[in-house]
Amino acid sequence: MNQINYYECKNVSKRYGNLTALDNVDFHIAKNEVVGLLGDNGAGKSTLIKMMSGVVAPDTGDVFVDGKETKISTRKQSEEIAGIETIYQNSALCDDMTIIRNIFMGREITKFFGFMDHKKMEDLSLEVLESGVHISGIDSPLKEIGALSGGQKQAVAIARAVYFKRKILLLDEPTSALSVRETERVLKYVTELKNENVSSVVVTHNLYHAFQVCDRFVVMSHGKVVFEKNKSDTNLEEVTEQVIKV
Amino acid sequence: MKNLFDNIRSKPAGGILILFCTIQIVAILGGLLYPEHFRYLNPANIAVLLKSMSPLGIMAIGVGVLMISGEFDLSVGTLYTFCAIVTATMVKEYTLSPYLAMLVGIIVGIIAGLIHGNIVNRFTIPSFIVTLGAMLLWKGGTLLYHGAKSLRYKYESETYKTVLTGDIGVVDASFLWFIGVGIVFYFIVHHHKIGNHFFAVGGNPEAAIAIGINPKRVKLIAFAIAGGCAALSGVVAMSRVGSVQPGGGLGLELEAIAACVIGGCALMGGRGSIIGIMLGTALIYTIQDLLLLLRAPGFYFEMFVGGLIVLAVIINVTIRKRI
Repeated sequence: MNQINYYECKNVSKRYGNLTALDNVDFHIAKNEVVGLLGDNGAGKSTLIKMMSGVVAPDTGDVFVDGKETKISTRKQSEEIAGIETIYQNSALCDDMTIIRNIFMGREITKFFGFMDHKKMEDLSLEVLESGVHISGIDSPLKEIGALSGGQKQAVAIARAVYFKRKILLLDEPTSALSVRETERVLKYVTELKNENVSSVVVTHNLYHAFQVCDRFVVMSHGKVVFEKNKSDTNLEEVTEQVIKV
Repeated sequence: MKNLFDNIRSKPAGGILILFCTIQIVAILGGLLYPEHFRYLNPANIAVLLKSMSPLGIMAIGVGVLMISGEFDLSVGTLYTFCAIVTATMVKEYTLSPYLAMLVGIIVGIIAGLIHGNIVNRFTIPSFIVTLGAMLLWKGGTLLYHGAKSLRYKYESETYKTVLTGDIGVVDASFLWFIGVGIVFYFIVHHHKIGNHFFAVGGNPEAAIAIGINPKRVKLIAFAIAGGCAALSGVVAMSRVGSVQPGGGLGLELEAIAACVIGGCALMGGRGSIIGIMLGTALIYTIQDLLLLLRAPGFYFEMFVGGLIVLAVIINVTIRKRI
């Protein structure tokens, strides 16, 4: 384990008034891995995700990207410096906009004076939808996001992140709104992404899902990391016990 | 054929387009069948119809862009009057050329919009409240600046007169201004990247933030557009009529919102189109015109607009559900 981590934070703390959301947390994401971030409600998982994506700034602690100490305090910095993209359960997509416009939201391809190159964006969208993802049931990138199922939406959001060469996907409860089959598909997709050098952090309450895809488990409780083991060194019972014990 | 129909239905303006075409076909048939009693196709009628819709239309385009971004502007009605009076005073008191005065008026409108937007952004209060206050502020401001007398708009430029009040056949210059503003904003909203940002910020602000769009900046631009359009519509209306009433304009803001809603804009943002807003405006005036031609009592006109708003939204929602 001597390789350089994509992302690492050390001794990170975050306080909201009296509440300590993160208490001296160490966390890292290496190349080619899927990390399961587990814990009960209020354990600090979401705060950690928000901090990594730059939405929340830590009070104390250090952040390293590719081994170099860095400061990430905005969403844009986490995207540009660390290549982080967050996928929420009702992900960062607009229902009333087409797939194309969603894929290129905020990163529109323009021709002149900021006018969009629709043709190019459509061609690239087709490419995105066809590459690796195999999002079934989407016949045209001109479809509105609102017409897609939950799983298809997730897939579009993930495909978008991959297309823009993100290195780390933060999936916050990605499957809680999905059907069983869609969940399978999204999880399979996450594991496949490792081959494209995209690492993921999956936050979930469903330990079976976590066991299906994750290589390493990190359990949080009351803002602290209380358990961390590789999949090969542990089993479902042990992880479950760690999550439910207070 | 079915595909084409589905395509029309899926557009924000789809419902309104179908409704608009149906009403036009019925009215044109009526006009052809009973040319003596129902003068819809009479050139004078068409001229009046086209002439009347421009001020509301230009204002509604600005209001619609802001609505797509998820905010309201209730102050556009009184701002419309304020900017027109500023323009007229520039010509009268400071002997500015009417073109420059028009520019000053529009800049005042844009600055007002920027002020509204800044307050909404900085204090994160609903734009409904901020612009409700601004509505009264600009109304009072108009009285403070000019007083309660109506103001005649006099200028010495034949070209300006032609450009703003001339006509080509039945088509009035102010209608061409409306179409021109519509074309400009069609390209901005549907083909420029800032347009994509309007939809993103209005449709899912969190998504916009997550993707790195700054919603405050985008909204500020939309507020400026609403203010600028209100000012332009005030100047166009005043130039055509030749005078401006300090109390006028009040109530137009709600009609503008009505035109947007009829045209398929979502009240909470993220959905809408320029063509829809233009059709919404046209539909309000077409209905008004039809009622007058049918000799319906003009006093009750607003009742029908009220019904039309609800009906149009029902049609929009029903048509979308069926896709």
